[in-house]
Amino acid sequence: MELNGFYCDGEGCAEEQEEEPTALKLLRSKTETSCSIIATPGADSAAAGGSVLQEQRMSKSTPAMLRLDSLKKNRPPFPWFGMDIGGTLVKLVYFEPKDITAEEEQEEVESLKSIRRYLTSHTAYGKTGIRDVHLELSDLTLWGRKGNLHFIRFPTHELPAFLQMGRDKHFSSLHTTLCATGGGAFKYEDDFLTMANLKLLKLDELDCLIKGVLYIDSVVSSGPPECYYFEHPTDPERCEQKAYNLENPYPLLLVNIGSGVSILAVYSKDNYKRVTGTSLGGGTFLGLCCLLTGCSTFEEALAMATEGESTRVDKLVKDIYGGDYERFGLPGWAVASSFGNMMCKEKRDSVSKEDLARATLVTITNNIGSITRMCALNEPLYGAALWNLDQAALYRAMIDQNIERVVFVGNFLRVNTLSMKLLAYALDYWSKGQLKALFLRHEGYFGAVGALLELQNPC
Amino acid sequence: MSKITLPAYANVYISEGKKPFPWFGMDIGGTLVKLVYFEPKDITAEEEQEEVENLKSIRRYLTSNTAYGKTGVRDVHLELRNLTICGRTGNLHFIRFPTVAMHRFIQMGRDKHFSSLHTTLCATGGGAYKFENDFRTMADLELLKLDELDCLIQGLLYIDSVGFNGHPECYYFENPSDTQNCIKRPCCLDNLFPMLLVNIGSGVSILAVNEKDSYKRVTGTSLGGGTFLGLCCLLTGCETFEEALEMASKGDSTNVDKLVKDIYGGDYQRFGLQGSAVASSFGHMMSKEKRDSISKEDLARATLVTITNNIGSIARMCAVNEPGDQAALYRAFRVYRIPSEQKLPTISREYMKIERVVFVGNFLRINTVSTKLLAYAMDFWSKGQLKALFLEHEGYFGAVGAFLELLKSAKVRRGGVKPDSLSMQAFLLCQAMYHVTSPKSCLAFEYF
Repeated sequence: MELNGFYCDGEGCAEEQEEEPTALKLLRSKTETSCSIIATPGADSAAAGGSVLQEQRMSKSTPAMLRLDSLKKNRPPFPWFGMDIGGTLVKLVYFEPKDITAEEEQEEVESLKSIRRYLTSHTAYGKTGIRDVHLELSDLTLWGRKGNLHFIRFPTHELPAFLQMGRDKHFSSLHTTLCATGGGAFKYEDDFLTMANLKLLKLDELDCLIKGVLYIDSVVSSGPPECYYFEHPTDPERCEQKAYNLENPYPLLLVNIGSGVSILAVYSKDNYKRVTGTSLGGGTFLGLCCLLTGCSTFEEALAMATEGESTRVDKLVKDIYGGDYERFGLPGWAVASSFGNMMCKEKRDSVSKEDLARATLVTITNNIGSITRMCALNEPLYGAALWNLDQAALYRAMIDQNIERVVFVGNFLRVNTLSMKLLAYALDYWSKGQLKALFLRHEGYFGAVGALLELQNPC
Repeated sequence: MSKITLPAYANVYISEGKKPFPWFGMDIGGTLVKLVYFEPKDITAEEEQEEVENLKSIRRYLTSNTAYGKTGVRDVHLELRNLTICGRTGNLHFIRFPTVAMHRFIQMGRDKHFSSLHTTLCATGGGAYKFENDFRTMADLELLKLDELDCLIQGLLYIDSVGFNGHPECYYFENPSDTQNCIKRPCCLDNLFPMLLVNIGSGVSILAVNEKDSYKRVTGTSLGGGTFLGLCCLLTGCETFEEALEMASKGDSTNVDKLVKDIYGGDYQRFGLQGSAVASSFGHMMSKEKRDSISKEDLARATLVTITNNIGSIARMCAVNEPGDQAALYRAFRVYRIPSEQKLPTISREYMKIERVVFVGNFLRINTVSTKLLAYAMDFWSKGQLKALFLEHEGYFGAVGAFLELLKSAKVRRGGVKPDSLSMQAFLLCQAMYHVTSPKSCLAFEYF
């Protein structure tokens, strides 16, 4: 529930709330920990031998042998998955352990082995599943185990096929709980149960998003930097991608561009607010492109957009004013009316499919940028705290402190440098340099990562 | 009547304190030209005698037709009758035609020897700048260029003050969320300020109006009426605004849009998003089966709903909607950029709180789907804090404002706005006639 408009971590078990910050802190230090890492009740008794814990566990569910073993070591049983079932795509993260001992291998159930082999030896699954190899995080230490984190996606409409596969591979015998977030975790809960005998642990997508972002940014220590921005975004000669250090990230605005858009103001790890959203998102771009150009996939739509010229389709300020609208600082090249030229038959006949795709991309991207800018410039920092300041302090706070960083995530930005550069430029221009657009390499996977992290807090 | 021949740079015609006819105001927008014309009904026999032939013919042409050429239309239902202004009584007419017909209009002005009557024409909108040279070269007409947002506000205030033939100009919807019981109700615009004014033309401008002469352009969006029409033409093959609206009234946008319930299976309770809310506009259209199953009417409806909701959402963000708290003050400060010299304690919370959002512009012409949607959106998303208001003369306020400028005495406007060319012309006149050297000493004179 939102209190005074601001979210405080109030959902889930009370134990989780206390334990969680400690756990995350420990995760960040990436050290092998002792039994004190447990986030479940009865920590002390587990250290002592675990019988009490086992009893408590048994009263909750029927554990497999492997599960008991894992619990003795106080980590969740394999396999470790996190799932984000979105409006268009399902995002899956899978942790592949690389430190399996000979003994463990011996004990390992066949189905678990086969799942691991299937996932890691392919980069494509069926017709539409893809493993983003370039995003793989190797030599990661998670809950005391070393391994690789894999990032897999497939269209949400293929979920039935996925469930079938889960059933055929007897997934339910391994792991009766699966951490899932996104709307689909709620929509398909019953299907998971009836089709594959899998119980979903449903998590809020925005909670997971934030946890995922913070975690990934903290563990990426080698290879390409997770967080980056664009310098000179509209100058093709000078445009450069530069690393950005997201330490001390707060306060920041987090814009998640999936099928639709959510905009969150994040004040601290546990304190964030969903400021607003817009229904004109990635789904709108793809849907409109399919209608206007006859394309069928996101990649096709983007390829067309790269070739097109949106100024033939849009009505610019100079088309109306003959130049700049100086009074209000609107340059002639700014779009006054998106698709505004398309009410005229001659213009419709003279534009190409590529121009239409480009105009759709530019329209959606600029709309998101514009709404984001309004939020960033309007959002008071440290919400409740401000209310206690006296007038002078409030005045100072208003001028000095405001949200300067806007992080854009979500699969609309996947392989979509055009939109990223547009957002970078628009934000910088319209805020007169006050706002900086930041991007993260793992774009749309943070929800799934956040879900994975919840594995240690099963309820 | 004394006529003075002036030097070329003082391009003004004087007639013993009377403003010469015809009285026009023009707003040349991105899509439509809006024209207001004052038809005097109190012409004396003597005046009629003196009246020049082309002035008579212009009056007859405009008032005896309701359509002009193929695309010009006079909105008879908006006519203001028996209006008294500047000592004359008559009817105010409201005429519109597409901006693409501008050259034909200028041609007509030349053919009717308009320049011999009236060398200055008050015009606003982007086209006043874009077509300035065309007016000069094609019809020997000098445009007095005015800012569109200044004119919008002045025009709105004027029409609201004179009323609509005895009826209120302003209205709202009662029970906007109830499709059966949603009714249009008249509304009085007292305690007008502060208000948010949303002008939906080809594009959208959002203004925060604090006082009659004090406003700020808060923001705008390029997804406006032009987007709706342009996209509709592309998606459905229609050609006019009326056709697009006709289709939209019959369609079902939920076949096209992906709703929250399509993703969540129900409400997204955590953040108060109902299952019926749109999560992703046109979100179903990435699927071939869905594309094959929807109609043109569904697409038109979805386009209308998408554009309207986006505007509503942005308008709501601009309105100060948390009454009486510091956050509201903060937002007001940041968004409206009140000069820092102004001491915070003097800004009362009530002053900053905006409760009314007024929507104008020709996107809303005959467009009850959008007006009701905006009324609903404002009410719902603000939990009843914001009220959406609408005005009968929708898109004509800019033209009315330009018309009013014609009738004003030359004055330098308050609020730090540069003196307009009207006062500059007046100063030049002063210089020519009275050897005055500074603009300030001209202010005492009335020229018209």
